[in-house]
Amino acid sequence: MSTDVPLLVACLRITDLRPHVDPLAGTITRDRLGVALTPADAAALEHALRLAEAWNGRVVVLAAGPASIEPVLREVAGLGVELVRLPLGDEGDGHRYVGELAGDERQLARALVDAMAPFGHPSVVLCGDRSIDRGTGALPAYLAHELGAAQALGLVALAHDASPEAEGRRLIAERRLDGGWRERLSVPLPAVCSVEGAGVRLRRASLAGALAAADTPLPVDRSLDATSASGLLHIGAPAPFRPPTRVQPAPSASDARLRLRDLTGVQVAHDPPTVVEPGSSAEAADIVLAFLARHGYLDDTDAVGGAQ
Amino acid sequence: MSATEPRRWQGISFDERMATVDFRVGQRAHITVDADVCRSCTTKACVSACPANLFAPTADGGILFNYEQCFECGTCYMVCNSEGALTWTYPDGGFGVVFHNG
Amino acid sequence: MTDHITCDAIVVGAGPAGASAALALARAGRSVIMVERGQFPGAKNVYGGVVYGRVLDDMVPGWWEEVPVERWVVRRSTVMMTPTQSVSVDFRTQAWGEAPYNGMTTLRCHFDAWLAEKATGAGARLLTSTTATGLVRDASGRVTGVRTDRDGAELHAPVVIACDGVNSFLAKEAGLLPRAEASHHTLGVKEVHHLPPSVIEERFGLASDEGVDMEILGCTRAIPGGGFLYTNTDSISVGVVVSLPQLAASGVRPEALISDLTAHPTIAPLLRGSTLREYSAHLIPEGGYDTMPPLAADGLLIAGDAAAMTLAAGLWLEGVNFAIGSGWAAGQAADRALVAGDTSARGLASYRADLESNFVLTDHKRLRKAPSLVLSDRVQQRYPGLICDLAEGMFTVTNPTPKAGGLSMTRRAAAKHGVKLHQLAADTLRGLRIFG
Repeated sequence: MSTDVPLLVACLRITDLRPHVDPLAGTITRDRLGVALTPADAAALEHALRLAEAWNGRVVVLAAGPASIEPVLREVAGLGVELVRLPLGDEGDGHRYVGELAGDERQLARALVDAMAPFGHPSVVLCGDRSIDRGTGALPAYLAHELGAAQALGLVALAHDASPEAEGRRLIAERRLDGGWRERLSVPLPAVCSVEGAGVRLRRASLAGALAAADTPLPVDRSLDATSASGLLHIGAPAPFRPPTRVQPAPSASDARLRLRDLTGVQVAHDPPTVVEPGSSAEAADIVLAFLARHGYLDDTDAVGGAQ
Repeated sequence: MSATEPRRWQGISFDERMATVDFRVGQRAHITVDADVCRSCTTKACVSACPANLFAPTADGGILFNYEQCFECGTCYMVCNSEGALTWTYPDGGFGVVFHNG
Repeated sequence: MTDHITCDAIVVGAGPAGASAALALARAGRSVIMVERGQFPGAKNVYGGVVYGRVLDDMVPGWWEEVPVERWVVRRSTVMMTPTQSVSVDFRTQAWGEAPYNGMTTLRCHFDAWLAEKATGAGARLLTSTTATGLVRDASGRVTGVRTDRDGAELHAPVVIACDGVNSFLAKEAGLLPRAEASHHTLGVKEVHHLPPSVIEERFGLASDEGVDMEILGCTRAIPGGGFLYTNTDSISVGVVVSLPQLAASGVRPEALISDLTAHPTIAPLLRGSTLREYSAHLIPEGGYDTMPPLAADGLLIAGDAAAMTLAAGLWLEGVNFAIGSGWAAGQAADRALVAGDTSARGLASYRADLESNFVLTDHKRLRKAPSLVLSDRVQQRYPGLICDLAEGMFTVTNPTPKAGGLSMTRRAAAKHGVKLHQLAADTLRGLRIFG
């Protein structure tokens, strides 16, 4: 695969945006008629198209979802992008429980990275910042980890850096901070960027494009046939978070009132909160990880690979 | 039926009704109202007849309109008696109301 | 705007009329493009409940094996009501519950998509999420294509079939329909309430795939119109259809009329415990035969609601079947015109001739006076109360006072509702003449 042409990959997660949730049973009923792109996914795709125009690159769309999302994909295909659907096997129009929604995003990230491999090494991978039904929104972070790419998440603006010193190898991104502030980031390539559903609107396919997409069959990622009996991608639930037990010595005071006080920690002197003012985000991450390790929340493998 | 059972099938508020409908709101307003023409209108039939309640009279005699939650039925321009007060087109393709139980 | 996309025929709208027209053309080997502004066929469509499938027999043999049906209608009730009374005429036949069936309830997002799939299966192309914004015409004014709201080329074809619904901006642009004529339209508002299938079957006395269709008179306050109630698989469609100018003049909010109906003592128990699934509204062209526009112009045919082909004649309330029938005929006429190489209004004239000879315009012509009778003041405002009072008088036991005679009771009820007996006789005769 040629590396001359920058490759932009948009990862879309398409589903019913108005699922019915049974308030008593907690079951979810999805309706194929409600299937649509989320505003954030639409913005991610539009950013990919704009960057491709600026760099003369090619856009690959990886869309994870059941077969019922095809009408939405046809509209996407009409934009003249290369498109592959990852057949997600765990939903469709069936029922699931709300509690099962948070899928293992790391698993999904790995499947996406596998699916983009045949197209070459991506310069930029774009995702929507809001994951409508998969819980944590950690997918872009996992993608960046799997690809060894830089990450810039929750962006409201994204453009290629036209300055000479960037040599066409950097992006300028913008995101919201508290208090109405914004920060500007200079992002090196390759990068994984997630964008908010704001600032840009997805263009519509031209008449010729839409007509061409109306009758072409949409490609489905078949690499899963080898690994899964059904040929479908099954995203399992993430491992539940279980902090290790810490042994507390039994209170030794003679008075029941004092023992109770010791147990509940009332009127006991605590360490004052530490205000961390790190110089860089890497230092901040180190401080947070050290804190978690000190209190027994992380062992060595977790510190490297995330909760598993 | 007990007295305390919520009578969900009737007495539904208008907002609850509208919340059941799937709208994909486009960028372009497909309804526009010329409030200057409306100020001379005595009937303001659009206000009561619109099934989505998109038109609201303003204190100065004009009309405030929404286009986002439109059923695209055409009632407003059909009952409008002032030429040129209300322009109405279909929203852009793929946008607007999506009926799931039509 | 340089390269135009050209095909044999463009069908605007992928509803029942458009899909039928496209199916006819595709079967004849024509290249046909359906332009649909919804994300899928049926996304913009609402109807009052029943599709009568006989019209499909020729088009899709054995259609009932595959159509996305909710329930087969085996019960038909005509209800006349006042706020506290009601009289129902309830008809049931098991014959309608078996092949080849009579009427069915279905949801338009399923039915329209199914019919459009028949057309695409036959080779028609479906372009969704695309609004046709206007007609392309040559110097002589002849229609040669449509413009869309997508960037790029226009769509060109020797014949355009406008099946773009009740508001048909294409028929208006071609001068076939008036811009806005409220008096020829009614507004339908509908609520779909969810109930478990077993509850519906128990309440309405139905087996698993059987359904009921209720037409209601006297539930729309002082506004001419009527109500309806239909059973779907796990929901009930209930709503009212009211005259548009009189709704506007009354200042009554449309949803207030549905609330009246769903709170009526006859209707409320049928809906008890349900949850609202969707509220919707749509216009209906109800002028009947006399307000029907010309059906063809040079290079242009109109079918379905765009051509006002809805039969709203009191006892008969049909639309989808007329849309299918007219679309099918339009597709065939367009093909004949293409064979003859003449798609002028004259070349397309066989469309109207076909409709005059089959059920579409024959029914409309025969019932042309029905809308005015059904929407007349006496039928709307006086007869429901009169009939309810008459029934109440007949069945109220007045011991020790002896029972009154039928004629005197009729006279008393008629007087109470301001109806003269000769008017009653005249309306009966008029009704017989229209419907008989």
